[in-house]
Amino acid sequence: MLASIIASGLAVGAVYALIGVTYNTMFSASRVMSFTAGQLGMLGGVFGSLFVLRLGMPLVVGLVLMLVCCAIVGLITEFVAVRPVLKSLDQHLYVLSTLALALMIQQVVAVEWSTEPQAFPRVFGIGGGGILDEKFWLPVLTCAAAICALELLYRRTLTGLAFLAIAEDNFAARALGLPERNLRMASYALAGMIGGLAGFSGGQLLLAFVANGPLLNFYGFVPVALGGLGNNRGAIVGGFALGLFQQAANFLVGGIFASVAVFMLFIIVLLAAPRGLFGGHLARRV
Amino acid sequence: MPISAAEPLLDIHGLEAGYGKIAVLHGVDMTIGAGEVVTLLGPNGAGKTTLLRAISGLVPWNAGGVTFAGLNIAGIGPRETARRGLAHVIEGHRIFTNQTVTDNLLLAGYDVPRAERDARVDEALSYFPEIAAKRYDRGSTLSGGQQQMLAVAQGLVRQPKLLMLDEPSAGLSPVLVDRVLAVVTKLQKTGTAVLLVEQLIEKALAVADRVYALAQGKIVLQASTDEADLPRRLEQAYFGSEAA
Amino acid sequence: MALSSESAAGAMQEKSLAGVGSWMFAGPLILIFCLALLVPFVTNDYWVLIATRAAIYWVLVGALNLVIGFAGQLAIGYVALLTLGAYSTSVLVAGNVSPPVPVFAALAIAGVAGAIFGVIVGLPALRLRTFYFAISTLGFATIITQIALAWQSVTGGGIGLPGPEMPAPFHTHGGFYFFCLAVAALVTWMTANIAHSRFGRGLIAVRDADVAAEATGIRKARLLMTIFVFTGASAAIAGGLFATLQTYITPDAFTFDLSVLFFISILIGGRGSILGPLLGTVILTLLPEFAAPLAAWSTFLHAVLLLVIVLVAPGGIAALLDFGNRRALRANRTIVPKVDLVGRLLAADKAKSGIALRGVVLSFLGVRAIDGVDLDVEAGKIHGLIGPNGSGKTTILNVISGFYSPEAGSVALGGEALKPGDSESRASQGIARTFQTPRIVGEASVLQNVMIGGTIHGQSAFIESLLSLPRHRSDERKLRSEAMTALSAVGLESLADIRADRLQHSELRFMEIARACMARPAFILLDEPAAGLSADEILRLGQFVKAISRQGTGVLLVEHHADLIFDICDYVTVLNLGRVLAQGTPTEIRVHKEVISAYLGG
Repeated sequence: MLASIIASGLAVGAVYALIGVTYNTMFSASRVMSFTAGQLGMLGGVFGSLFVLRLGMPLVVGLVLMLVCCAIVGLITEFVAVRPVLKSLDQHLYVLSTLALALMIQQVVAVEWSTEPQAFPRVFGIGGGGILDEKFWLPVLTCAAAICALELLYRRTLTGLAFLAIAEDNFAARALGLPERNLRMASYALAGMIGGLAGFSGGQLLLAFVANGPLLNFYGFVPVALGGLGNNRGAIVGGFALGLFQQAANFLVGGIFASVAVFMLFIIVLLAAPRGLFGGHLARRV
Repeated sequence: MPISAAEPLLDIHGLEAGYGKIAVLHGVDMTIGAGEVVTLLGPNGAGKTTLLRAISGLVPWNAGGVTFAGLNIAGIGPRETARRGLAHVIEGHRIFTNQTVTDNLLLAGYDVPRAERDARVDEALSYFPEIAAKRYDRGSTLSGGQQQMLAVAQGLVRQPKLLMLDEPSAGLSPVLVDRVLAVVTKLQKTGTAVLLVEQLIEKALAVADRVYALAQGKIVLQASTDEADLPRRLEQAYFGSEAA
Repeated sequence: MALSSESAAGAMQEKSLAGVGSWMFAGPLILIFCLALLVPFVTNDYWVLIATRAAIYWVLVGALNLVIGFAGQLAIGYVALLTLGAYSTSVLVAGNVSPPVPVFAALAIAGVAGAIFGVIVGLPALRLRTFYFAISTLGFATIITQIALAWQSVTGGGIGLPGPEMPAPFHTHGGFYFFCLAVAALVTWMTANIAHSRFGRGLIAVRDADVAAEATGIRKARLLMTIFVFTGASAAIAGGLFATLQTYITPDAFTFDLSVLFFISILIGGRGSILGPLLGTVILTLLPEFAAPLAAWSTFLHAVLLLVIVLVAPGGIAALLDFGNRRALRANRTIVPKVDLVGRLLAADKAKSGIALRGVVLSFLGVRAIDGVDLDVEAGKIHGLIGPNGSGKTTILNVISGFYSPEAGSVALGGEALKPGDSESRASQGIARTFQTPRIVGEASVLQNVMIGGTIHGQSAFIESLLSLPRHRSDERKLRSEAMTALSAVGLESLADIRADRLQHSELRFMEIARACMARPAFILLDEPAAGLSADEILRLGQFVKAISRQGTGVLLVEHHADLIFDICDYVTVLNLGRVLAQGTPTEIRVHKEVISAYLGG
């Protein structure tokens, strides 16, 4: 049983971690937390199932197409829900605009796709269903690969450096002549792809299910809350920790009380350390 | 330096700008010729930083016009003004502390063609050997003075026609202040114009050709730095009328 | 005190204006409820049920309006309390855990449970930022539904249980409708009372200007918790009524869509309004009836509506209906303070001696912003505080105000130490202030903004305001009249009913000063009040500040405008790099060599 807990915990934790990274990527570019992060995870699974199973495309084509579509959704988020409210001084508006967009995405999928979970294709066909089945190690592998790719981007490319600059000091970046708006759009497209990848790689576990949207919104946010806003390393650690905790609670106590347990943990940690366990962004009030 | 009869590099007339409802600049006129060093002085709250931000496009204008190198730069943002040769080094030595010195300079050269970028970075570093030695160190390991030098170096990467420096001496020891201002003199020899906003009046006057004083959003003094009686005139501009 | 005929006429006009104002407010609400009374007589049972549903939703939304619309706390998952109330009432009436309880008692008990749970759901709001709090309420909603599903022995699990039946005469559709309508009317009346009380104003102050709210003595935690109690109770009672309406409840009756509906009703209605969210609730409840083919897309449409409101008309229906604020204001208004009114405004005992700072040290990120400062501000004098940028002037004000706690040293008022960091107590201890950038409630009227300044003088308790008892009404009358005096003193009385965000910058500065005076403070801290003012306005500001000090109120004035400082100050302290550089009269400072060189550099 321990092996099952670890396998499923790490797998689902990897998905949560990547959604956490999605939140962080959007936040770093704009100082806005977006409700669409979880929806992107849901879309990764839905698009994967749609392109590969329903439309019969080859897996690689389906994957690429999914990435493109999720990048577009990321761009739509920036253009429709984030850019218009950045100008206003009223901080709370982005919560409403991104919530509205997230609901719209969810409803479209619910009506046009299905309200029931749909099957997700096998990727490599390896594993045969035991704890070494690909549905467990695929998300973990994807998460690791995504993190490495992000590191390369941030450390080795000028665009990546520019993303970090915008995140650290937006005003100084603008003054230096960096194309702030384009970089923000690119960040949102990137975040879209990360979210989609999370959902795609976890598709065999979570299936193509519209209810994954709000589920991932919450469970993908917990790593951010634990790790500190904007802190990707904290989100990774938090994601895996959450996954293991949740699966352990699931096996030991049963599904419903597991979610109660997770939620209690979330609230307690937040109340004790509102900026996350590893610290995060802080603005001076006065 | 003779004031050239040709068109000024930077020509500001009637500039009004502010933050939201708060109007800070109430009609500013100023010109800077190619290769001139002009210093802008004034008490706190006068609007010096706002003026620089308005010129580079970080703050929107309410009225007035600015031409730079013959081009009307109304409504143009900081990316465009930077591309056209106007570099703005903002106050507070705000470099990117999580990145290396070299990365900071590469970012300053974001729009520079890739082939030239490394050469430009080296050239900017040549003005500041102290930080050239630390080129692979992260910005957070630099002292305040070194960060200020890095910020000025960032401004130089694009080989600007006009370099605007906002209080580069703030928080620096006198030795470092002299270092930074020596760079201004060196730049002038290469034909770069400099607009220097400063608190340290004597040092600024020593390095500049002309001086403007800004108080409560308006220019209250305009002179060449070799004119007599400047200190008294400046004190008057700062504090209003003489003591009773 | 003899009133001149002019001020008596003014008082009469204020009263009648207030009267007209409250009729303009109550009129549409009364109209809606009168129309609602007619529903059973002009339509059939089906529409009566729809109207009952709208009324029940409003019982929840009307109270939730205080949390979301007034306090600005984005409690998205409030369906949790509807669920709690519905199940509590049903379980108690059905007798699953106790002997069967009569319906009204069950509703009352559910209300108590709702109050407690409302506090639990709301507690994170005190610590968490907007987005985090919103997510936490979503979590609560999910948890409650899951508990309802799992606790089969009590709640019937997925099968559910019957809702409570009302006794005669409320068991018919019509009877039940009138009962719900009465509860809805009661909730409307109570929330309207709160809106027009210092509690309602305190909520919007916390929402839009929380730093200023602290400085005026509004206790955020206490206020929010009180509101959560009220809203929780109301929502739970709505839940009980909902269970009766449904006649049979299962966990999937309490969907996230329902939560979204409540939330959106308030936002399309407009924050800070009662009428707006009421109309919003009615519209959103009726909409599915007229757009039947779009039923599957209803949540989508709600979301589109929300997005449109946020991007295009953030003020919602209330802003669209706000005809009073459409009137154009005169373009070249001048501010003409009436300095002789300052006496009426600030009349109070000023026996306190001065503010004393001793050895105050404060650092930010390792840099000493204040490096051992001793400062004495005498009662009834104007004390200027000047210095170059970064010298620590505003930081000193923030320490005196209690926003920062010094690492070392003490701050005392009248010989008694001021508790460091206790910003919410400063107003009642006699210290009021203005801010470098005006911190005001843009969506409220100028008069309401100024009334916020007098919060600490309110006597009535929350219950008294809720039920509009005499003490609440006399509080409001007094506060209103004092605020009008303050506005007249600063010369802004003609703008009293105008939304504050329509004012010019200089008018906002004077409004902030009026707000500060409302506390009848022993000391006023002014943070760069002359910034952005014209030369004329600075002169008038100077006269006003002098009038304030003549009344015995001490003034600590942080300024850059040298002429204002030298004109009105009795004493000046010069700061540089966090330390006191020089102190003396303005004349002494003006020729002080070190001061000049600190400003001019070198």
